[in-house]
Order: sequence, then structure tokens, then C-alpha cells
Amino acid sequence: MGDNIGKVLDREGFKYNFTASASGTSAQDGVIKEQDRLLPIANVGRIMKQILPPNAKISKEAKETMQESVSEFISFVTGEASDKCHKEKRKTVNGDDICWALATLGFDDYSEPLKRYLYKYREMEGERANQNKGSNGYENNIANI
Amino acid sequence: MLLLLLQFLQLSFILPMAMQTVYLKKHEGNAHNFVGTLSSAASAPWWSAFGSQSVHQGESCGQMKPFALELPNCIDQLAATKLSARGAEQVLGEGHTTQFTIFPDGCKMSDDAQKLQTTISLQSSLTDPHSRFEIGFSQPMLCAKYPYTDQFYGLFSAYAPQISGRIMLPLNMSSDDGPIYVNAKQYHGIIRRRQSRAKAVLDHKLTKRCKPYMHESRHLHAMRRPRGSGGRFLNTRSSINGNGKLGNEVHKTVGEQLQSSDSQSSEFLQSEVGTLNSSKETNGSSPNISGSEVTSMYSRGGLDSFSLNHLGSAVHSFANMIDGGRGMIIPPKWVAAAGNCYNLKV
Repeated sequence: MGDNIGKVLDREGFKYNFTASASGTSAQDGVIKEQDRLLPIANVGRIMKQILPPNAKISKEAKETMQESVSEFISFVTGEASDKCHKEKRKTVNGDDICWALATLGFDDYSEPLKRYLYKYREMEGERANQNKGSNGYENNIANI
Repeated sequence: MLLLLLQFLQLSFILPMAMQTVYLKKHEGNAHNFVGTLSSAASAPWWSAFGSQSVHQGESCGQMKPFALELPNCIDQLAATKLSARGAEQVLGEGHTTQFTIFPDGCKMSDDAQKLQTTISLQSSLTDPHSRFEIGFSQPMLCAKYPYTDQFYGLFSAYAPQISGRIMLPLNMSSDDGPIYVNAKQYHGIIRRRQSRAKAVLDHKLTKRCKPYMHESRHLHAMRRPRGSGGRFLNTRSSINGNGKLGNEVHKTVGEQLQSSDSQSSEFLQSEVGTLNSSKETNGSSPNISGSEVTSMYSRGGLDSFSLNHLGSAVHSFANMIDGGRGMIIPPKWVAAAGNCYNLKV
């Protein structure tokens, strides 16, 4: 579950950047906030199913409850990381800030696995960048998708 | 006898509290009666007993000088209280009429000693009943203080875990529960989240009119499209034909892309909140259109607006290839997709 939480947190961090950079009418801000409040319920259900046996079934109410809990937890941790970036006059929340926020809030058991995940993720990103340099335009487009 | 009086005066100086002074005076009177009895007897063994008592009084002075509130002293005091009980028994054993005035005080001392003994539950025994009698009269004053000390320690220990581990959250008007204690590290985060949620609730009222659609531009485009009888969009057949043409070209890559396409479709249909990735939405909506004529306004609008997004031609052809392949190979999925579309309409 640590890795899954890491993936979700990374995704939330990316969305946070999008929201922070967005600027427009009040309706547009409202739409963005409404969409960002909860994660997609299908993704939440899929993550819950990964840890269960193949024939297990999950009720819709369980998915909705987990959807709200997970979304609130992400906002809780990201808010702490955002406070740190605000104090340091930085605009981008990165993975290290999320790890720091988890440790600050007392989730040390999650912070250590997440640091290892972040380290390996960055290694993989480096390897992928090298592969893209050697490939043709078509594969680059696929990577961009 | 003069030496004994001097020792009692020293005790009164050591204990300046008024209550203890009053108690010492009472005790001194009792001792005087006891000495009078010894004088009336006027026998050699009684004088030797008096000497031993004098030595014990010296010991009691030594014990009382530090005046430290510690457990070992409490044990010593308990031993003294036990001596008091045995002293009372000794008085009863004698049976003299002149000593009857000491009897009620002895009973009180015994009762106090028993109470303290049951409270602390410690056992001890000593010899020389006369010396026990003397110590019993002088020591209960110190014993009286220890129960309060124990209570104080108890209160402090009960209070300590809250200080170190938890902080009490401020009560909400809506919640009728008692105070909630949370991890001290998370207190500020929780307060900040409460403020954010309150702000979101206010903002939510402004966004209620945006619920029917996700994107303004797509909504405007859908409003401009021509509609047939019954309110459905026209030009449905041309979309199906367009997807069919590309089916053969992607036949070899369908197996690899099938799962992702299926997951995206289910994601689009089941989630109430749309994703911000437009290509995912297009993949989700296209099979529905090719599968059956029963489609919702939203999904059809999404497909047509996709062609206006000016994305790369490779991306566009790639998406179409996926849709065509999926439609060609797995007919049973169409029925499931149609069912989901019907649910969307409701």
C-alpha cells in the first residue's frame, strides 16, 4: 500500500501544480475545484482491488467512503507541504516536500518507503529520457500520450 | 522528666504549622499523665522503662528533622502507627483506674492507625510495647500528610499522558460529542483543513450551476449542433463509418492496447467526476458511439469537440485506431457499453 499511496500522492502533486497555475473566471475556478476535490472513483476501486483476492467484490459505498478518505488525506498532506513551500518562497511542490510533510505530521512509517520509491522513480525517469533520445518521432508521440 | 519536656519543645519548633502545634500540645498532656503514673509507682523497673522511652524519643526527633516526603519515611511512620495500636493494648492490660482517661485517646489512635494500615497495606513488628506506645502518639501527624501526597501524585500521573501526546481540538457547533484529542503534530494541519473545507463549501454554492457539464466550450459547441426530431444530434452514421475504415490498419496492435482502452472506458462511465485529460475522455466516449445509437448528449459532444482540439495528427490517428480495433474484435462489449450509456441518461 505504501507504493500505491506514493503513486496517488505524486499524481495529486501534479494536479496541484495545474490548479495553482490556472487563472480565469470564477466559474472556471469553481469547476476546477469541484473536479479536484475527489479522486476518480474507478481508480480508487482499482487500487482497492489490487490488494484483494481475484474473486472479491467491493460495494459502491465502500469505494465512495475510501474515495473521500483518500482525497482528504491527500489534501491534508499536500496542505502541509504547500505551507512549507509558501514559507520558503517556492512555487513548486515536489516529491521531497511531500516526504517532509509526511514525517512532520507523524507518518514516519509512510515517509521512508516513499523516499525509496521517489529515488527509484527518478532513476527510471533518467533511463526513459535516454531511450527517448535514441528513438524516432512516432515513439516520442506515444510517450507524450 | 525535664529532658522529656525539652524534647517535646524541640518537636514544636520543628513543626511550625498551627494544627500540628495544637496536636503536639494534646500529646504532651497525655505524656504528662503517663509520667505521673510512673512517679506514683516509684519502682526501679519503671525508671528503666522511662530511660528506654527517652532513647526512643531521640530517634523520633532524628526521623522528623529531615521532614522529607518520601516513601521510606511513610513505611517508618506505618511501623509507628502499628506501635500505637500495641501501646493501647498494653494500657488495657494494666487495668488501673487512674489511667482510664488515656483510654479514649488510645482508641482513636488505634482507629487512625488501622485506617492508614489498610490504605498502605504494609506489615511490620517491633519489641518493647512501651516504646511503641510513645512513638504512636507522636508519629500520626506525619502520616496524615501522606494520603494527600499520594493523591497529588495520582492526579499528576493521570494528567501527564494528555500533555505529552495529545492536544484537544476546539469543539464544533455541529458536533455534540465530547472533546477530541489528536496527535500534536497534526493539530495545525487539521485546523487548516477545516478552514479550507469551510471555504470550499462557500465556493460550492457558486458552482452549482456548472454541474450539467464539465467544460464551457464543449457545452457551447453542443448547443450549436443541429438536432433531429426527438432532440438527438444528426450525422450519427458518418461517425460509425469513419471508425470502421481504420479497423484493418490496427489489427495487429489491438491485443496490446485492449486493456488500457477498456479501463479508460469503464473509468469514464463509472466516475462522477470527469478527468482533465481530454484524450482519455475521447477514448472512453468513442466506443459508445460506434457500439449503438443510444448515446448521451455529453459523450457525443465530447467526441466531436475532440476533432477541434488541434492535436497532433499521429495522436488523432492513434486514438481512432484503438477505437476501430476495439469495435471490430469484441462485439459483446458493445452491449455492456450500451447498458452503461442508458444508465448515464437516467
